Amino acid sequence: MTDDTIRTSTARSEALSTFGLPIAVGVIFLVAWQVAVRTAHIPQVILPAPTDIIGSFDGIVGVLAHHAWASGSESFIAFVLATLLGLAVAILLCTSVLAFEAIYPHMVLFQLIPKIALAPLFTFWLGIAAPSRLTYATFISFFPVALATMTGLARADANALRLCRALTANRWQTFCYVQIPYSLPYFFSGAKVAATMAVIGIVVGEFISAKEGLGYYILYAGSRGETAHIFAAMIVLCAIGLLLYGLTVKAEQMMQAWWRG
Amino acid sequence: MASNIRIEDVRKVYRTGKDDVEAVSRVSFAVHEGEFVAILGPSGCGKSTLLMMCAGLEPATSGTISIGNTVVRAPRADVGIMFQDSTLLPWKTVLDNILFPVRVQRRPKAEYRKRALGLIEMVGLSGFEDKKPHQLSGGMRQRVAICRALVTDPDILLMDEPFSALDAMTRDEMNDALLDIWDRYRKTGLFVTHSIREAVYLADRVLVMTRRPATIIEDLKIPFARPRNRAIGETPEFNEICGYLRSLIERKQDQAATRREAA
Repeated sequence: MTDDTIRTSTARSEALSTFGLPIAVGVIFLVAWQVAVRTAHIPQVILPAPTDIIGSFDGIVGVLAHHAWASGSESFIAFVLATLLGLAVAILLCTSVLAFEAIYPHMVLFQLIPKIALAPLFTFWLGIAAPSRLTYATFISFFPVALATMTGLARADANALRLCRALTANRWQTFCYVQIPYSLPYFFSGAKVAATMAVIGIVVGEFISAKEGLGYYILYAGSRGETAHIFAAMIVLCAIGLLLYGLTVKAEQMMQAWWRG
Repeated sequence: MASNIRIEDVRKVYRTGKDDVEAVSRVSFAVHEGEFVAILGPSGCGKSTLLMMCAGLEPATSGTISIGNTVVRAPRADVGIMFQDSTLLPWKTVLDNILFPVRVQRRPKAEYRKRALGLIEMVGLSGFEDKKPHQLSGGMRQRVAICRALVTDPDILLMDEPFSALDAMTRDEMNDALLDIWDRYRKTGLFVTHSIREAVYLADRVLVMTRRPATIIEDLKIPFARPRNRAIGETPEFNEICGYLRSLIERKQDQAATRREAA
């Protein structure tokens, strides 16, 4: 074997383990699901087989697209608001030692509250339309961004901070030139969490009050015993979540390219 | 402008609750304008703390440090500094890292760009201007740090074991590069190291510092003329000086060990 064939064969086995393995596991799982449902004669209302779910798309594609647009656009807006708000809160708190020490513990504490339990309050305060859902989704997804960014700002390289002091940099310069760039990797890890939280927030909001959206559609299909449609809606929700997550990863890769060149 | 450094009766005590640690104990010496002085001592003897106080990065517990006619209370823009770690910003190119002090001190960038490119050429990094730090070797990163320390043309250069993290061969190269820079730019320099040969090779004067007490026990003039090259490292005189300094440091450590055993 030449060097080249060895290299391509190891590359091939690497691709096989990164893509092939998870795909194989997924296929095995789906086949097992299908066989189990068919051999045990489980009624469709309880658990539809994968082929039933795929079949159920037929005829509801238009309806799903309509609801997907409602949920997707609201999730996206909530995600953008959450990252901006998270960034702003983190920067604001880190510019003042007093504010940081006074508020940071409360933010950590707040992170521990099961915030889903607060969702009905937002309907209470802001009504049953989009603003209520958007505020709630923004509220639950801005925490991870703010906390991660604050951690990043506080963990800027100590040597770099000392260099700034030696060069007579003022606080604002140190913040912009060193702390912010050092916090970016942390910011993105928070934003990736926010991407999934934003979708959860919107769906929960739709469960409580909505006239459209996939959360609304899932409840509607549930009330009619159309279990396959619930699964179909979930697949679309997954796609929305993946899209938001993918966008964040793309932005992160651009940041990494700038970082490492 | 006067660029001599005067250290008078400087002490540094770290309060650690129960018992205080005296990191620097009543040190006095002067570095004259254009002179290169090395502070030589074992690790943990307080030599880096002393340098940080000269840089205005640490306050002295008592005593005064002055540069020219002013007392050092904070970092100054006319002092260049090198640390053990090159401390390059990973997202900036070589050129932008070198120009970082220019940016921070709001100096005209276009003017200093030319100087930066000249420095890059001098340390042999031409062609690497647009590379990022992770694409460079440890020695190259420290070369960039030298350029950054020199870009604003400071009168004084403070160096805190800048080459101690490098392998022996790279270190020799860096020493030659620094000698070359010295011959060209003639700064006032204070260099902290725990390498005896490095101190003797580079400095006009070597100050020996010990651990307990953390003070200077010898102030030795190094007689070699500049420009220097590696050949002086092979001379009997060079080795004699190194041997003398080594015995001085070892004797001091033995004494300390005996004292500890007696106690």
